[in-house]
Amino acid sequence: MAKMQEITVWTRGVVMDKEGRDIANAFARAAAMEGKHVQSFDDYEDLPDRVNVTTRKYIRISDEEIAMKYIYAVEHPDAVVVAEESIIKGIDILRGMKEGGLLLINSVRDIDYLLKFIPNAGVLGAVATVDAKGISGVSTIDFSGSEGGVDSAGIGAGIAAPIVGALAKVTGMAKKENLAKVVADVSGMERGYKEVKVKKLKPRAEYAWSA
Amino acid sequence: MKKNLPEFGKIVVPKERAVPFGAVTPAPESCQLLFMTGNWRQKRPVIDDKKCTRCLTCYMVCPDACWTFNEEEDRMQWNPSFCKGCQLCTHECPSEALTATPELDFEGGVVRLAKPF
Repeated sequence: MAKMQEITVWTRGVVMDKEGRDIANAFARAAAMEGKHVQSFDDYEDLPDRVNVTTRKYIRISDEEIAMKYIYAVEHPDAVVVAEESIIKGIDILRGMKEGGLLLINSVRDIDYLLKFIPNAGVLGAVATVDAKGISGVSTIDFSGSEGGVDSAGIGAGIAAPIVGALAKVTGMAKKENLAKVVADVSGMERGYKEVKVKKLKPRAEYAWSA
Repeated sequence: MKKNLPEFGKIVVPKERAVPFGAVTPAPESCQLLFMTGNWRQKRPVIDDKKCTRCLTCYMVCPDACWTFNEEEDRMQWNPSFCKGCQLCTHECPSEALTATPELDFEGGVVRLAKPF
């Protein structure tokens, strides 16, 4: 039985909105190159035109055709990507997560220090960090707030490239070779793939979402 | 329509001047808990009380009124629930008493919401 896997990307409006959208689009496009069925879209309720406000982007990857065509939100993600580290303090990012999920944070900090800010971290099967800002050197590449309308930087420049590389390594849902065809910053993506740090945890059922 | 108001006694409001149901919403006393913006913050302003001259520039420039003067302690007070980290105060402070410090350096001041709004 093929399983559909869902990913939520948390990012910040305007300053990292393009990066978050690039993570969702590039990763879904790379997975589609393997013949998988994919969807990637922004959240409709969030307000990405406000600077620094937390916004969500979603990815769905499945071996079979995705039946939930008109449901524009991922309520129960298998993996959560946090594109800016201080979001873990402001939002309950693991809400609705299934048991044994994965959390990827863009941070240089120690994983144990980051886990102190996540009270329901018991649901997680693994936590990973990647220093995307240190690898790419910039945190904002498009400040226009045009949501991609006048963007010439290409998909997967800036912090998006190391994050998709790390996401491919820790989830295995897309291949590095396919990502290299999609992203603009290929060397940054490969560094993210190599330099991601993972810590395995023992998931506990009492924190997980259950139907 | 007759109303009893404590200081004004009984007043009579003519029907054409009565406010319809739903036209008035209760004003928050000091902060609006339905719209917390503290989770927008990437960097927080940290004050050095020795450098601060109590000029109230931060109080003037803060868009969310997060800086208030505490007269009893004779120092500026910061509200972490609504500061969205715009760093206007750190830029405008004439005595350079404010520094923008990454939010995750601190364990306190957590504003954790279930949804962005």
